[in-house]
Amino acid sequence: MKTKLFALAAGLMTATALASAPAQADVKIGLLGGVSGPIAAMAPAMIDAAQLAVQQVNEQGGIGAGENLVGVVGDSACNPQGGTDAATKAVNIEGVVGVVGPHCSGAVLAAAGSVTIPAGITLITPSGTSPEISNLEDKGTVFRTVPSDDYQGRALARTMKDQGYGKVAVAYLNNDYGTGLANAFKAEYVDELGGEITQFAAHEEGKASYRSNLAELAKGGAETLVIFDYGDGTGLTILRQALENGFFEKFVGGDGMKSDAVINELGAENLSGFVASSPVGAKSESLTLFNDAFKGVGGDPDAIFANTSYDAAFLLALAVEKAGGKKEGVAAAMTEVSNGDGEPIRPGEWKKAKELIAAGTAIDYKGAAGEHNFDAKGDVPGTYALFEVGSDGFEVITEMK
Amino acid sequence: MELLGLVNYALFMAIFIGIYALLALGLNIQWGFAGLFNAGIAGFFAVGAYTSAILSSPAVEGRIGGFELHFVIGWVGAMLAAALVAWPIGKICLRFRSDYLAIASIGIAEIIRLVIKSEPALTNAARGISRIPRPAGDLGYMESQIAYLIIVLAVLIAAYVLVERQFNAPWGRMMRAIRDNENAANAMGKDVEFRRLEAFIFGSALMGLSGALFAHFNRSITPEAIDPMVATFLVWIMLILGGSGNNRGAILGAAVVWIIWSVSEIATDRLPHEYAVQAKYIRLFLIGLMLQLVLRFRPEGLLPEPLRGDQRSTKSGADH
Repeated sequence: MKTKLFALAAGLMTATALASAPAQADVKIGLLGGVSGPIAAMAPAMIDAAQLAVQQVNEQGGIGAGENLVGVVGDSACNPQGGTDAATKAVNIEGVVGVVGPHCSGAVLAAAGSVTIPAGITLITPSGTSPEISNLEDKGTVFRTVPSDDYQGRALARTMKDQGYGKVAVAYLNNDYGTGLANAFKAEYVDELGGEITQFAAHEEGKASYRSNLAELAKGGAETLVIFDYGDGTGLTILRQALENGFFEKFVGGDGMKSDAVINELGAENLSGFVASSPVGAKSESLTLFNDAFKGVGGDPDAIFANTSYDAAFLLALAVEKAGGKKEGVAAAMTEVSNGDGEPIRPGEWKKAKELIAAGTAIDYKGAAGEHNFDAKGDVPGTYALFEVGSDGFEVITEMK
Repeated sequence: MELLGLVNYALFMAIFIGIYALLALGLNIQWGFAGLFNAGIAGFFAVGAYTSAILSSPAVEGRIGGFELHFVIGWVGAMLAAALVAWPIGKICLRFRSDYLAIASIGIAEIIRLVIKSEPALTNAARGISRIPRPAGDLGYMESQIAYLIIVLAVLIAAYVLVERQFNAPWGRMMRAIRDNENAANAMGKDVEFRRLEAFIFGSALMGLSGALFAHFNRSITPEAIDPMVATFLVWIMLILGGSGNNRGAILGAAVVWIIWSVSEIATDRLPHEYAVQAKYIRLFLIGLMLQLVLRFRPEGLLPEPLRGDQRSTKSGADH
C-alpha cells in the first residue's frame, strides 16, 4: 500500500511534469480565487469575469506579437494555507507574470508575504479589502481594484455627519468586512467628527432572530441604525426585524447592504428611511460596456466583485503588455497604465490600448468598477455615493467625499 | 516550467510539510501515545501563532504587543503560551473520555477562534496581525526559502528526536499502558490523570510551535488560517494515514497528504479549460477518498505503531 501510494504521488508528479511543458508563445497570469471554502458561491463569477478580460485580450491581438494570454486558475480556498500554495504553484510551476487574486484578505496577506513579494511578481486583488494590505512592505508590487474598507467607512461617516444624522447605533457582521468598515466608521464619526455612537456591537451570521441584539442596540436611544452586513444575508434579517418591531426609524448600510434583495423582500414603500453607500462606478459608460460583455458570455454582471475582478485582470494585461511580457516591469507599468493621465481606455478596448502602447502614448484605464488611479500603496480611492430607495430601485442622493 | 521553479515549489512544499508534521507529532503524543481525542488542534495552533506574532511584530497603535523580540523568543513564547492554555483545559476536560473529550476540545478551539476574531486590542480581530518578521526573510526568494526550510527542519528533527526518545523510554511505555488499559495502569500505581495532562500539554506545546512557524513563514496570521478544516481535520487525516502511535508515520502522513493535496491541483488543471473551476473540487474528493481507502484497507496507517511481542490482537480500538 505504501509503495502504491508513492507510485500514485510519483505518477501525479510525472503527469504534471509532462503535461505542463508549455506552449512557447503563451503569457500566463494566475487567477487565484477561493473556489473552495467560505466564498465558494462568489468565486466562480469573479473568475469568469477575469477570464472574460483574458478572452478579449486574445480576440483583439493578444500580448506583444500576438502571443496568447492564458489565465491559470488556482484555488486559494480563502485561507492562507491555500493562498500560499496556489500562489507558489502559479509563480513557480506555471511561470505567471502576474497574479489576479487571491480573493480573501488573509490569503492575500500570506500569499504576498511569502510568495509574490519575495519572487517579485505583481499581485492585484479584486476583493481583499483589509487595510492591512495597504501596509505591506511590498516594494510596489501589491495592488487592488477594490477600495480598502477604511476608506468607505470614513467616507460614510463624513457624509452622514453632513446629512445631519445624530446619535447612531452600529451593528456589524463579525468578519473582516464588517469589522473593518465598522471600526473605520467609528474612528471617523466619533474621534474626528465628534458624533455619538450609542451602541457598537458585532453579530454572528446566520441566526434566525436578531431581536435580542436589536433590543440591546436600541437601548441608547439612537434613531438611526448603521448596518455593516450583506443585504442578501444576515443584514436583510436584521433590517426586517428592526422594521417589524420599530426599533429604529432610519437605517444606513454599507455597500454590502445595497442589494436588490432588500427591495424585493421588504418592498420599496417600507424603505423610506433606508440609505446605503456604494461605489459609483455604478453608472459609468465603462460599467455598461462590461455589463454587456459579461452578459454576452453568460455571466451575471451584478455578481459581487465581478467588475473589480474584470478590471484587475484587464489592468494586469495592460501592464504586462506595457512591460513587454516580462514579469520584471509589470509592477511599475501597472501605475503607468492607470494614473489619471493619458488616452482613456475602457473595458474591452484592448486593440486600441495595444496600438497606443506600441506608439508609446500614455494610456489611462477607466474601469468598470471605477477609475483605479493607484496611490503609492497600490490602493484605489474609490468613488462612493449615498443611495436611497426610490420608485425605480436605488437612486443617488449625494456623492461621498 | 523551469527547474528553478520546480525547486522553489519543492522547497515551499517541504516547509509546509515540516510545519504540518510538527502538528501531527503533537497530535501523536496526545492520540498516539495517550489516546486523547483532541479535536481542537486549531486552537493551540492559533495560540502559538498569535503569541509569537504579538511578541515579534512591530508595534501598532491600539493593540498590545509590538515588542519586536527575536523570533526564537517568539517561538519559545508560543510553546509556553500553548502549554499554559492547555493546562487548565486539560485539567477540566481530560476527565472526559474519548468522544466527550473530542466534543469539549472542538468547543474550546471554537472559543479560542472567536476570541481571536473579536479582540481588536489583542489580536487585531478579523484582520489579523501582519508584518511579522521572517527569519532570513531579507534574502532572495529561493535563498530565504532554503534558509527557512533549514530552520523548520532543525526544529522538526529536534522535536522528532525528543518525542521518539520519550516514546521508547519508560514514560512512553507507561503512556501506552494507560491508553490501552487505564484500570490496569491505575492498579500498578500510575497517576493516570496527571500523566494524561502531561501528554496533553506536551502535544499542545508542539502545536503552538507549529503555529508560530506558520505565522513567521507567511509574515502574517489571520483568523482564516485557523479554520478547523485546515488546522484540525487535515492534521487528523495526516496522522491516521501515516500511522498513529508512530512518529515517523506522523511525519510521513503529513508529507503524503500535503503532496497529494497540493500536487493534485496541478494534475486537475490539465482538464479542459471549461472545467478549471470544477476541477478544484476534485481535490477535496481525492483527500476524502484517500482517507476512506486507508481506513478500509490499512486502518493502522502506512507505518503502524511499533509493537513488541504479539499484541496486535488487542490493538483494534481497545478503548478508543
